[in-house]
Amino acid sequence: MPLVNNKVGDDCTASGDKALADGKALVDSLIKVVACYRHLASCVGGCTDSLQLRDELRQTREKAQNLAGDICHHLTSHLRDKSLPDGQRKEMELLWVAFSSCLELLHVDMCKVLNISGIVSLADSASLVHTGLEGGCSDVAARALSLPDLNQAQTDSLPSGLESQERSTMELEISQIDRMIDDMEMKVNVLRWMVEPHGPQYADPLSSTDSVSMAVQSIDEEQQAPTSQPLCQRSHIFVLLLLVGVFFVAATLSLCIFFFS
Amino acid sequence: MIVVVKWQNVEKSEMDLIEKFAIFFFSSGAAVSSSSFLISLISHCVILQAEKVLLEMQDPCTGVKSQPQRLVITIIPHAITGEDIIAWLADRFQIDAQEARSFGSMLVALGYIYPLQDHKRLVIKPDASLYRFQTPYFWPTQQWPVEDTDYAIYLAKRNIRKKGILELHEQEQYNHLHKWMNHKWDFVVMQAKEQYRAAKERKKPDRVVFDCQERAYWVVHRPPPGTVSAMDYGLDRRTDPNTDETQTPDYYERIMIFTQQSIMRPRVKSSVSIGALVKYSATYSGHDPFLSKCLPSNPWLTDDTTYWTLNMSNVEIPTKMRVERWTFSFKELLSDPRGRDDFRLFLKKEFSGENLAFWEGCEDLKWGTAVAMREKAEQIYKTFLARGAPRWINIDGKTMEITVKGLKHPHRYVLDAAQTHIYMLMKKDSYGRYLKSPVFKETLKKAICPEEHKFNEVQLEQNARNRRPSLSPIIIRQQEQEQRAKMAANAPVDITQLCRFTTPVPHLAVYTGIPDPPSVTASPSLPFLAHTPVCPSPISVALDSTSASERRMEASDGEGNTEVRAPEGGNLSKSRMALSLRRLLKRGCSPSTMFASLSPKCHTAATTSSRIQPITPDEASQAPPRRIGNFFQIKVDIPPECRIYPIESEDEDEENRPASRDAVGTEEIICPWESLTRQNGTG
Repeated sequence: MPLVNNKVGDDCTASGDKALADGKALVDSLIKVVACYRHLASCVGGCTDSLQLRDELRQTREKAQNLAGDICHHLTSHLRDKSLPDGQRKEMELLWVAFSSCLELLHVDMCKVLNISGIVSLADSASLVHTGLEGGCSDVAARALSLPDLNQAQTDSLPSGLESQERSTMELEISQIDRMIDDMEMKVNVLRWMVEPHGPQYADPLSSTDSVSMAVQSIDEEQQAPTSQPLCQRSHIFVLLLLVGVFFVAATLSLCIFFFS
Repeated sequence: MIVVVKWQNVEKSEMDLIEKFAIFFFSSGAAVSSSSFLISLISHCVILQAEKVLLEMQDPCTGVKSQPQRLVITIIPHAITGEDIIAWLADRFQIDAQEARSFGSMLVALGYIYPLQDHKRLVIKPDASLYRFQTPYFWPTQQWPVEDTDYAIYLAKRNIRKKGILELHEQEQYNHLHKWMNHKWDFVVMQAKEQYRAAKERKKPDRVVFDCQERAYWVVHRPPPGTVSAMDYGLDRRTDPNTDETQTPDYYERIMIFTQQSIMRPRVKSSVSIGALVKYSATYSGHDPFLSKCLPSNPWLTDDTTYWTLNMSNVEIPTKMRVERWTFSFKELLSDPRGRDDFRLFLKKEFSGENLAFWEGCEDLKWGTAVAMREKAEQIYKTFLARGAPRWINIDGKTMEITVKGLKHPHRYVLDAAQTHIYMLMKKDSYGRYLKSPVFKETLKKAICPEEHKFNEVQLEQNARNRRPSLSPIIIRQQEQEQRAKMAANAPVDITQLCRFTTPVPHLAVYTGIPDPPSVTASPSLPFLAHTPVCPSPISVALDSTSASERRMEASDGEGNTEVRAPEGGNLSKSRMALSLRRLLKRGCSPSTMFASLSPKCHTAATTSSRIQPITPDEASQAPPRRIGNFFQIKVDIPPECRIYPIESEDEDEENRPASRDAVGTEEIICPWESLTRQNGTG
């Protein structure tokens, strides 16, 4: 934040900073929700598709839309405010760009879900594509909704009008998002090419404990030559040892965290 | 057989037909024997049919039987083997195994099934290699184009998981996206992190499956460079043919215009047009790579590029098929660069190469940049059309008039009439003789007929793995330019002074202060006098000089000097010419200058190309042009009639030659135009 050197503007900047922080928090949570929605959407039409999944999707969608509405108001009001200092304006524009990209992603995901539910119907469970997934995505949904746990009542039967009702609500919501995007473009003119991001080009690796799936994937790629049997065995042993080592490391780390927090 | 369906200009009614065909093909798989099958375009109906097939395939009861995939510690269900897929497809559609394999490969290429091992090669292997169905979220669709933002997020995610895992082309893409999507980059990185964290909430096997799915999706939609992608569908159409068009007044207006134009179109009798079609098909059917064999093998099928290397434009020995094509029509001959070279060689022997050179110059003008147009037009005029030009072409008076008038305000097509005239001349005259000429016969004899390749499976796979990109078109263009420059510089020049003409730059216009071209041709009809009062002796003199010059030219081929000639304005009388000629010979001047001094008269005799260039001495009033530009690519075109006469003085010339050859580059003749003025003064 650039230092504003006038005492008169102190209150403004303070409130501006707060507004900025609020906006950032909102946008961050929207990004999180959209990411989770994508994961949920990727399960639609597969063998793990169920009413529960659709329910989770719906809830995530609602949350996303509420957040989107809030951010929209927040950002539009601030960006239309002519007296906003330059530095804050830049930050706001960054948030704006992130917000519009989020909305676009959400829009596409929603359209895809609508489309898939048209092709693969829940009612015909044999037509759900066997994609290899087994578990549900309730953890992801819980993360999206920021709830520690998601208690879902299992509904066994499929109410007859649910699908069509769902489709119509989805279409409504999609058109809502559409309108929001259009409104945004109308009301606030943000020159995208002037916006400069802060962050690095490469995202830093988040954690190293995901070597499990890495190892699994690397084995996947090693399974190319069916004739290299002894090699496979050797690589199996090597990976097993590696995994055991990783388990130990993870265990000690969690113990440390447990003891020191 | 390869079925390639292109949608570019398909009307709705035709599209219905094609849709029906596709449905028929997919559902019945009737008697279509093929070795490979490729729909090079995804359309809505293809997607629909593929989806139907896929839903059937994955049915647990009636579909392909699945088995669990065993990874180190996890077991992931719903993996299917390649051979099972092929067997199921063959069974369901009642087609043979090869067909089923092609069909399966198509499904993999489109992204409905993805391989678990060797994930970059999107083919079905008829063995126990494993595949899995792709989740509907990642199915190909045309309604929402694949976004670069998603790709950036995916790459960022992979980088988060393990730094440096991106391949080279992915790295390049990432940098490129970072550059032009820079404003979104914070968002991209944040979204990648969030998606990564959300993925961690899932169970391990599901995470692996999702990663495989996503990776397969991006292999299909962002293939590594050099691979053929099923997603290449060419240009996007402006309108979606599947949507019903609203009946607005605009729509009806368009229909009205269309029908009006159809009525106004000139009509040809169907017997004539069908006859032409039949003739065309009969002629070209042997040369069509779809309808008949492509020797040695079709590179698109076997990944072996011998066919392309054998048919490159600068190849020494062409293939028999190619030479046969040249006999079909003159247009074929000219459009094939190798054919054109051959024809040029023939014309050089016949000494009527200026026709082809003029034609090529006109083409260059037509297709060149607008900046260079004016200069090129000037150049061509000076070289080919001006009175007394070094490579004067023979066109009729009316065309010349039109052309010269047009040259006052040159534009791209100003030489069109002349070009057409010359083209028809070449076609009616030279082409026939070319086909009977020894040059052509020689080429035909030397032409090779390559053996057909017979690759087996293993070799085909090997070829696929060894695919390499070809020469960049930039390099090829540079080579062509170099060749052109070399050709331009091929003619020998005995220029002794280093002037700006020593570097052969065919397109450099050096306007040397000549009065406007149109004004020069005060009497354009003059060059077309059928009879010239020229005695044979100049011809024999010319003969000596030209034969000597020809020999000298051939001897000093490739020296790389430019030849500068100044055409004589016909001011020299015969005696003066003979005098100057002998003098020049003794002094060892450039043969070209000699020839230049004689050129207008040289072409007197009715040559085969019926060139008549009498430039009578009446034009003494005309001030001799000091120079007419620079003439770079002058190959001396000597009318064949000159050779008929016995060449007595050749021996003298031969004796002179070694002496004069040493004298080349010596002090006597500096620049041809200057020598000309001197001759004018002295002669």
